[in-house]
Amino acid sequence: MTRRPVRAAAAALAAAALAAAAGPPAWKEQPRKTVLTTGLPLIYQQDEASPMTVVGLFVPGGRAAVPEGLDGLATLATRLALELPDEDKVRDLMAQSTRLTFLCEADFSAVFIECLSENLEAALRVAGKVIPAPLMSGPRIGRAKEMMALAAESEADDAVAAGSGAAASSFFRGRGYGSSGYGSAASRKAIGRKDVLDFHRRFFTSTNVFFAVVSDLDRGTVQGFLEKHFSGFPGGGRPDVPAAAPARPADLEVRLAKEAKQTYIGRAWALPAPTPGDHARGSLAEVLIGRGPGSRLWDLRAVERLAYNVGARLSWMRGAGILEAFLETGSSKAGRAVGKLDGTLRELWDKGVSADELEAAKTMAKADFLRSAETKVERTRLFGRFEVIGLGFEHISGFFGAVDAVTAEDLNSYIRTVLDPGKALKITVGPGRTGAGQGG
Amino acid sequence: MHAQRYRGGADRPAGVAAAAAIIAILALSSGLAADGRERAFVLDNGIRVFLYEKRDLPLVHVVVGFDAGSKDETDATSGIAHLLEHCVLFRGTTTRSGAAVAADVRRHGAYFNAHTGLDLSVFEVSAPAAEAAFALRNQKDILFGFDIAQAEVDAEKEVVLEEFDQMEDDPRLRATDLVLQALFPGHPYGRSVYGRREVVAAAKAEDLLAFHRRLFVTGNCAVAAVGDFAAADMEGLVREVFGPLPKTEAPAVSAPPAGPLKKSVSRRLERDVEGGYLYLGFAAPGYNDSDQYAVNVLVEALGRGVNPLLPALLRGERDIAQTVETAYLANRHGGAVVVSFRADPKDIPALERAAVASLKSARNASYSRRDFPGQAGLFAFDYLESGKNQVRFAAGRADESGLQLAASLVRHLLLNTREAPPRYLDAIGRVDSSDLRKAAAMVFARGEHAAVSIVPGKRRK
Repeated sequence: MTRRPVRAAAAALAAAALAAAAGPPAWKEQPRKTVLTTGLPLIYQQDEASPMTVVGLFVPGGRAAVPEGLDGLATLATRLALELPDEDKVRDLMAQSTRLTFLCEADFSAVFIECLSENLEAALRVAGKVIPAPLMSGPRIGRAKEMMALAAESEADDAVAAGSGAAASSFFRGRGYGSSGYGSAASRKAIGRKDVLDFHRRFFTSTNVFFAVVSDLDRGTVQGFLEKHFSGFPGGGRPDVPAAAPARPADLEVRLAKEAKQTYIGRAWALPAPTPGDHARGSLAEVLIGRGPGSRLWDLRAVERLAYNVGARLSWMRGAGILEAFLETGSSKAGRAVGKLDGTLRELWDKGVSADELEAAKTMAKADFLRSAETKVERTRLFGRFEVIGLGFEHISGFFGAVDAVTAEDLNSYIRTVLDPGKALKITVGPGRTGAGQGG
Repeated sequence: MHAQRYRGGADRPAGVAAAAAIIAILALSSGLAADGRERAFVLDNGIRVFLYEKRDLPLVHVVVGFDAGSKDETDATSGIAHLLEHCVLFRGTTTRSGAAVAADVRRHGAYFNAHTGLDLSVFEVSAPAAEAAFALRNQKDILFGFDIAQAEVDAEKEVVLEEFDQMEDDPRLRATDLVLQALFPGHPYGRSVYGRREVVAAAKAEDLLAFHRRLFVTGNCAVAAVGDFAAADMEGLVREVFGPLPKTEAPAVSAPPAGPLKKSVSRRLERDVEGGYLYLGFAAPGYNDSDQYAVNVLVEALGRGVNPLLPALLRGERDIAQTVETAYLANRHGGAVVVSFRADPKDIPALERAAVASLKSARNASYSRRDFPGQAGLFAFDYLESGKNQVRFAAGRADESGLQLAASLVRHLLLNTREAPPRYLDAIGRVDSSDLRKAAAMVFARGEHAAVSIVPGKRRK
């Protein structure tokens, strides 16, 4: 093997990478949006990193579209859209190892078809018959409700997920964005077959749904498959689902009792609706506060020895964002942890960030963004999410520019306006008699 | 099974080894690809290196691993490997404090983390491609320039003990940890990766430094880099950064093969959980066993995919299992298959009996359409083909994640003892229905297993 001089090799490596970074951000192939002959929009990106294809069918609506008292309906309707009516179809997909999954978020639900690309047409042939016209029998609805109950239990067993759910519920008074994706026992019981059929008829229409696809195959091939096999969506108007605005809860303290060794202590704020700029500012705030070593909360672990898990979590919907800062600490330390957490967040609010800290956060935010979108399934989700919440799928390329445009002055103004510690929602998940809320 | 340093980032599911191993074996056993995207070599000091160009995104992922895990501990040092890994990552070097390391990592846009397992300790960093030199130098510095004072050890102990609490609060992590302990009694694998609280609480800096001096040496080390670089350039950089390290031979392997479980054990815990959890562990072939391929396919066929076989095998009891999952941990000295269920707590005892009986019967199951006479095969599910395709699916997915790819490459470099292992997907492709029955007989037929159930405590009943 020919050896090049070491210094030259290192320089070549860095120069090549810098040249790549200086061009259009990150993606070797830019995503494109077209409209299929069936009228359905398609966001497409070719990526030859693996011989896999991910097809996401996005259905705007989500939790925000669920009528009062029927929490879980969007999840149930989307889950049932994947019910395969006969064993032959199950057998086909099983043999190909194709995976059908779904999710339900605040503003949309989605189904994902993930497969070896060689099996794509066979997978779409099955899915294209089922999803537009699923079999929604009573027994199938009953089984899907049981699975939702189980998923709700798993979520409750995870303190971070429980804390996140509590924040959304408080800011949106338990309705729409603030409702539980899996519903409650009462709401699941209240959902009838007619409710599920009505929801499906209203939202799974050719005027509402769209595709996002990442595949190693060329766009024309995939487009042809989608046009051939997904022509069965009925027409209909585009449902108008208003984007709810968050409201400051009357009671800023939320406590969920859980007998555990650790106590989750969280602080949450409602953020402005996601314009590109506010999305970038929110992302930078998340990184500054709690993403990895060197974040503001990291000292609560490394220096104060209060926690193994410290972090920040950001979620977006059309009408708002929610930023959570949290730690999980031994219950005997909870009182001190509350004081340190609030002190750290107050210092950020009081003094803001320096130019150096902002530059590090920008580098980190951009790299984190790439890592979060490295796999095809995550990137497909991101395309759909950006499209639905109003940023547009192009934001996957625009994110770097939006981050670079944020100045220290901008960000400090944002922090002063949005992240007031005195207005934060205070969430505790843990033993009933913790010191949380007592300060420390 | 592994313990990981902090939540967030691109976490991998704990304890699932099969998928992660696939692409590494595939890559290494195929030799250099025709397009030159791969490069494997050994530095003069003994460090094994694998480089793989993955140029879809401007990121570079570097994983450095050591053949050093909880298997290298004793009862008196149980937990030292885990604590050392924390300290290496977060408590600084001879030239930089832990805070300085964290600040450097952040300034370069890097994500870093580490994992301790039964066999290995691995340290990973992912950075923008322009920061490849930083990524390599940082890993070399924290791993080979490690030094620590007692005050720093004492600080990190508290974090580790918090992690203990978190693990014990999480029914899945807790059950997996206990199942593996019960499955390997008397063997080093029978010690928790998290270790013993009292050992961690009493640990001294010299204990960590001694463990580090013995095992974190070049002869015991592998490096993998995956990402947006030219392999020739990256080779130069790796040689520049890691080449000057002094050569130190790896210590002799001490752990014996893990034998089969002699008697079933069952343990029940009550916790504040919403539902019931049942975890069953069975001894299985190790990483270098030629039967691993059949076990991989068997595990996929039994518990994964659109229509796994195990619920069907449960027959009359199939409705009491709300979810079923299977995982295969191919460790060096002996593997484990872990089968986990969610169920109504009152059904757990019946489910354990039914599941063990069903798994025993897997040695007689019909996995392929060809197992059925005449026309009957046309209407049968082909679990064999399904399992194989799921392995291919996992390999395809692994291609997309640079960090996962680098970690599995390092794992293979450190665990493989075979001269010329077959190409992984070729070996998977050769597995037939009788191989699955043989694997099922090997793993499940005797019925000896370790069971751990976690159910709601009295407050929730």
